Amino acid sequence: MIRPGLIIGPLAIATTMIVAILAPEISPHSPYRSSVDMLALPSPAHLLGTDDLGRDIASRVIYGARTSLTIGFGATIVAMAIGIPLGLTAGYIRGRVDTVLVALIDLFIALPGLVLALIITVMVGPTLRNLVLVLGFVMWPPIARLVRGQALAVRETVFVEAARAIGGSRAWIIRRHVWPNILPVVASQFAVSVSFAIFTSASLSFLGLGIPAPTADWGGMVRSGYDYLAINPLMSLAPGAAVTFTVMGFYVFGASFK
Amino acid sequence: MTWDIGRREALAAIGGSLLLGNAARAETPQSGGTLNVGLVNDAKTYDPIYSVEFSERVVLYLVFNTLVKYAPDFSIRPELAKSWETSPDGKRIVFTLQDGVTFHDGTPFNADAVKWNIEKRLDPAVQSPQRNLLAPIIASIEILDPQRVAFNLTQPSPGIFSLLGDRPGFMVSPTAWQKLGKDFGGQPVGTGAFKFKEWVRGSQVTLEKSPNYWEKGLPYLDRIMVRDLAGSVVGLQRLLTGEIDYVGELTPSDIVPLERRTDIVLAPIKVGRWYFLQWHVNAAPFDNAKLRLAFAHAIDRGRINDITMRGKGTVSNGPTPEGLWWYDPSIRSFDYDPAKAKALLTEAGYPNGFDAVLATPQVTMFQQLDQLLQEQLAAVGIRLTLPPVAASEWYSKVVNGTTNMTPSRWTQRADPDGLLTILFDSKGFANTMKYSNPQVDALLQQARTTYDIPTRKRLYTEVQQMIVNDLPMMPLIFSAEYGALRSNVRGFEWIPDQIPRFREVWKA
Repeated sequence: MIRPGLIIGPLAIATTMIVAILAPEISPHSPYRSSVDMLALPSPAHLLGTDDLGRDIASRVIYGARTSLTIGFGATIVAMAIGIPLGLTAGYIRGRVDTVLVALIDLFIALPGLVLALIITVMVGPTLRNLVLVLGFVMWPPIARLVRGQALAVRETVFVEAARAIGGSRAWIIRRHVWPNILPVVASQFAVSVSFAIFTSASLSFLGLGIPAPTADWGGMVRSGYDYLAINPLMSLAPGAAVTFTVMGFYVFGASFK
Repeated sequence: MTWDIGRREALAAIGGSLLLGNAARAETPQSGGTLNVGLVNDAKTYDPIYSVEFSERVVLYLVFNTLVKYAPDFSIRPELAKSWETSPDGKRIVFTLQDGVTFHDGTPFNADAVKWNIEKRLDPAVQSPQRNLLAPIIASIEILDPQRVAFNLTQPSPGIFSLLGDRPGFMVSPTAWQKLGKDFGGQPVGTGAFKFKEWVRGSQVTLEKSPNYWEKGLPYLDRIMVRDLAGSVVGLQRLLTGEIDYVGELTPSDIVPLERRTDIVLAPIKVGRWYFLQWHVNAAPFDNAKLRLAFAHAIDRGRINDITMRGKGTVSNGPTPEGLWWYDPSIRSFDYDPAKAKALLTEAGYPNGFDAVLATPQVTMFQQLDQLLQEQLAAVGIRLTLPPVAASEWYSKVVNGTTNMTPSRWTQRADPDGLLTILFDSKGFANTMKYSNPQVDALLQQARTTYDIPTRKRLYTEVQQMIVNDLPMMPLIFSAEYGALRSNVRGFEWIPDQIPRFREVWKA
């Protein structure tokens, strides 16, 4: 039987990606143009109403998909670029290198990701590039640990032992025999990491450390709508639902591999 | 009944009978009851000698009296001083004090107490933040008899009355202050209508009726509880449930859900907070007058008022809003003219546009202003980035000069010298624009030593137009803000300093 996550996940991911790519075509309005029709309730002209500056909420939610996916994929690629080489090295070479790397990984995992991201963002200043780097930096340790564990298991298998016996170099064995066997797990972790990055960046935005205004950014929109829940709740709820939908999509997809 | 009235009507109320006053007039005030005041409170101390935070004064005006008080139009009325006389040369003011006033601890209020209070603030060892306001103008305090005290001044100083209606004028019990020392800020003793009972930091302040208060018939309430709020919007919910009776600092958007409620009364402030855009006027790039002019012509203040204030604020042409005596409609700022702005930008040496950073304090109103400014300036080729700054760090960064261009806001002072000097005098302590114009300094000095109101007004009109033309800042708008009260709360009236006064409030 096919796990539901393998259907729901890709559907949600594909929807978000299509919306992001086609944003200029499908947005009814500019996401940045203000108007004197502030905090309007949903109407045919503004399907989700308008925000505190009279901007079309639907258009902002649509453009927000671009911001979220950029951060989600960007941060995950950064995290993978750090985590995979370190994990493979620690798991395959073992010995003192492993001891040191594991200590480092444990040290980072002991710190809550959001708090760490918060502190670094305060220091370097919130821009799109910085957020991608900061989140990538916060997310690499779990990836390294996972890869290390897998590498440890694979290195003890008979085919790896055989490769060693015929005199294969470390680099060749890792590339040809270890890595292909770890790939499915890494792919599942990739999807889970994207969901974490999107969720954490939304949390940072909600705490006032997101992408600078006026960029359409779901977390920031949830935050600025908070003051107007009694007038047009969609100003917060619509971007909130978008975060939930996208994060769920990536997470369910990633988790269904496990 | 709802008091959602327009700006013009609000202004019409100034100096005349007051809206809420009208409702109250028909009824006789009733005694008794507890008033629950919701306040976004950042109080550090309730010792008037050391007070600096805005919100502290809500409690200070209840526990203490000032020597003189502000009327709703900012004119000066008697309080602990029942009358005064100014010498012909303007350098000596003799105050006659109210009879039979005692502090809550039984200490008599008299000329000795006044002298002690002012001299404490002047004493460098005490380190009162009010010293730099008083020291330049007060030469000595002289006791004439127990009910009469003379202030000898270094120069004619009409602005002293507005100081004595604010922090420097709060009369503290000398006995209690000396006995309690540092603890006075947590258990203040004054002559006010309410006694300070208890302060649970981060939660509430309890004030109780002073049984032998000297103003006949006052106060009506038995008790006032000042409850800390995390924010005005949270306060609104507590107001609707009846848990609190008052919440302030509400924006025109905040009050939209209240407009049809019959159990809530809105009290619009009479004189708005002044919002402007400022920069370092004496350093590159903003020392370029044409660049500043390009900014000025690119900004559509009317639209900013329409969007951030739902059109209920007013466009600002200078530092002073309509309704204060030193307002002059002839003062004009620069009109919205994007074509002209574009041409000026080229003339200023930026034919390909101009990039700048506009600080964005994490305060809703500033975030809205910044985004609108960004949109308007982008239309003429001025590209702004809006880096967020924590609200708690923002002003210190403005003061130490790390922040160049930023939105800013100030409430009005009861005397024109207050705001104009601190912001625009070369030596003004809040002159973070680093503006310096010797003519402005000279005119301000002349105006602050002139008692004659028409002459002063003429001087202030001249100096304000000069400041507006120099563009150390671009005036934007005056805000519309509201207090909201349960409908059974009567006798509430705004003073233009935007500190709510509850001394004469009663509950029906």
